Amino acid sequence: MSMETLGNLLQIAVFGGLILAGALVILIWVKDKTKNISTLRLFVQIAFVPLIFLGLLIGPFGLPQNPNLGDAPRERLLGADLLGNQFPDGLSVPILACWYPNGRTVTCSVWQLQAYLFPFWDAGPGFGWGTFYSSNGLERIGITLGLMIAMSLLIGRAFCGWICPFGLYNDLMIRIRKIFKKPHLSFSEKTNKAIGQLRYLIIAAFLILSVILGSQAIVGTQLVGDTAPGEYYYSYFTAPFCQVCPMKPLCILVEVGAGAMNPLEEINHSTGVFYEAGYYVTSLNIIVLGLVTAGALAFRRFWCRICPLGGLTALFSTFYPFKKLALLRLNKIEEKCTKCGICKRVCPTQVTEVYEEKGGDVTVSGCMLCFRCVEMCPYEDCLEVKMARKTVLKSRNWLEPSESE
Amino acid sequence: MKKQNTQKKYVPELSQKEIDELSNSIKTSSQKIVAETIKRMKESDKNRPKTMKYFDEMADLFGKREKEIIEAKKSGKKIIGYLCLFAPIELILAADAIPVRINSGWYDATKIGDRVVPVEVCPVIRSTIGAKMVSLSPFLENSDAIISVLTCDAMTKLGEILTDYTPIWQMTIPRIKDSDQALRLWIEEIKSIKKEIEKLTGNKITRKKLRRAIELTQKATKAFRRLQQLRKGNPVIMGRDAMLAIQTYIWDDVERWTKNTNKLCDELEKRVKNKDWSVPPDTPRVLITGTPMFWPDNWKVPSLVEEANPKGVILADEICSSERILNDPVGVDEWSMNDMLNAIGERYLMASTCACFSSTDGNEDRINWLITKIKDHKIDGVIYYVVRGCMLYAMEYTRVKKVLDQLNIPVYYLDTEYTREDVGQMKTRVEAFLEMLTARIDF
Repeated sequence: MSMETLGNLLQIAVFGGLILAGALVILIWVKDKTKNISTLRLFVQIAFVPLIFLGLLIGPFGLPQNPNLGDAPRERLLGADLLGNQFPDGLSVPILACWYPNGRTVTCSVWQLQAYLFPFWDAGPGFGWGTFYSSNGLERIGITLGLMIAMSLLIGRAFCGWICPFGLYNDLMIRIRKIFKKPHLSFSEKTNKAIGQLRYLIIAAFLILSVILGSQAIVGTQLVGDTAPGEYYYSYFTAPFCQVCPMKPLCILVEVGAGAMNPLEEINHSTGVFYEAGYYVTSLNIIVLGLVTAGALAFRRFWCRICPLGGLTALFSTFYPFKKLALLRLNKIEEKCTKCGICKRVCPTQVTEVYEEKGGDVTVSGCMLCFRCVEMCPYEDCLEVKMARKTVLKSRNWLEPSESE
Repeated sequence: MKKQNTQKKYVPELSQKEIDELSNSIKTSSQKIVAETIKRMKESDKNRPKTMKYFDEMADLFGKREKEIIEAKKSGKKIIGYLCLFAPIELILAADAIPVRINSGWYDATKIGDRVVPVEVCPVIRSTIGAKMVSLSPFLENSDAIISVLTCDAMTKLGEILTDYTPIWQMTIPRIKDSDQALRLWIEEIKSIKKEIEKLTGNKITRKKLRRAIELTQKATKAFRRLQQLRKGNPVIMGRDAMLAIQTYIWDDVERWTKNTNKLCDELEKRVKNKDWSVPPDTPRVLITGTPMFWPDNWKVPSLVEEANPKGVILADEICSSERILNDPVGVDEWSMNDMLNAIGERYLMASTCACFSSTDGNEDRINWLITKIKDHKIDGVIYYVVRGCMLYAMEYTRVKKVLDQLNIPVYYLDTEYTREDVGQMKTRVEAFLEMLTARIDF
């Protein structure tokens, strides 16, 4: 075990080194200061995709619920053994990195919250093939929430802006739209705020739904067959949000791309029931993905305004009392601002507070800390990014590189 | 465009002879004054940057630039004049036309303007009317159309009066800039002006052309900021020189201006290295704010401050004939036509600190600008310059004074007219103020 762990750590170290080197190269070579941070961000986003799905690349590949093809490499996962608990579902991270593809390194927290919520008293067999929980659901939820809060306090919604693979997908849609030179649409300020609040309703509704469906599966009055614990559809019904989440179909693509899944088998496996279009992708997943893709082509970062996971991260980093503790903040100095409105226009999620607030801490729940505003602000030192009260990034006069012509 | 009525609505008919006579006399006296001002600039400052030569040449309104404009006009290029800084010059540049700002600074022309409007009206407006009546300004004369933005009351009517001569495109600017509907209105105005420009020049403003124009003005802003950066430390250039250099932008070719400003900055950077200051570093540092000052005649305040005894040096200003011309760049997110137009609209409306805007927080933007400039340029005192008849700036004085009092920065209210008669009296007032500043520094 130790040799393999060492090997994995070495792989991660090499990969991290490559990322750092790439970041350095970008910082040196991208001369246009209005594209500096954006390019770096794109690079980080892409670099994180293999890192997130690292579990697909190491060890023997296995298909879930298919013992003939070998076991999933659970023991290789980062969170396999956390705080003395067997924690085989991967580290809980506030990004849409789906639990469903086999061999994930990290897992979307929303899945864990739903799956562990009911039955919370139970230890026992896990959701994936050959997994076992040594602790009960409450403990597991505690770990999930604890990790989530810690990570939100650490870099807050920068997870959305810099790491989340679905954020990358939304950004790619922006790039595709740019190729066709089409302007983007914008929500009215009011609508955008309403959408931002809708996130919390969505997460609450799905958690409640998870309890209801979970209890039905366990207590016995099943709506659909095969939903008791350990049975075929159990993992669908305990995590209802995941059955509409637009990320799941994309995870299949990654899985197929990594060679960890045979797509033909998936198609053969399809039973044609409304909630099951493929191996573990429901038709709702695909419909929502279609809608979100269309939305992302019209609006910038369409999904990220409504994402319940982003909402949770924001909850733990931009609201009292977490607001006081969160480390990564966006700060504005009032006097330097001429209210030119650039920050408001370039914001991909249409956050208006950076423009409207007089000054001070302007990190709000809609902001995913992509720092596009910091990059585009033409006034020196007006906007600054603070990490633990230390300024790490400042708006620069992007016109300034004083090359004499 | 509506058909122009041949009968003049406002302006009295002048005979050609009278026009020529008046115009020649003003021109002669003005050229004398310009020569004298520049001579004094050179003499009182032995250490004047050599690269200022280009801007001196440009400052001669009846010289090289007039010839260039007439030639460009002959070759089919259109000249588009504008009265306020809100005119989107990027669009004019993108349509291959030449933008020139046509506000007049001639003192004597006000007397001719008095025949149309009463003396209570702001002298900038009276002078511009007068200059047009006697065909004085080469830029005003050659303009194929004029963009008039309805900012202050006087400016609103000026556009109307000038319709007697030239096609005028009026743009309504919302007086409240901090709202969604205001921005929407303004961007619609920008779009309609774009159509007018395309119609007049016959050139379509394409995405590529507009992008090039925006990048051109961004480069100019970059050069301007470089110059401003140099004015933050010990004075390496006299304020009136810098102000003149900046002001030539409003009639010069943008690309050439950028090149020469960069040359000026190169020279100044060398001076900073050699610690070659134009005045002793303990000279009182002054900021000027208020009504615009236009070359050639209305240059008395900068000259007075920097030729007074004790001397002051102007390190920054907040007037729309100098720093505000170039302070804000157009920041484009995506280079689509739509976003570029939005960016242009926002740059002109929202970043502006013009006193014509009203807001419930008391034109906070202007206050913030002043505070930042005062801190950045280590200003010792502020001269609040107002010409008689400029109500908006006069009314904002108390607001500015209160803020500056809190910062413990003395501010002096200097009101004047378009006239040379009060120079002696102003000199005494400015010198008293500068003496007080010197005493504060010594203390």
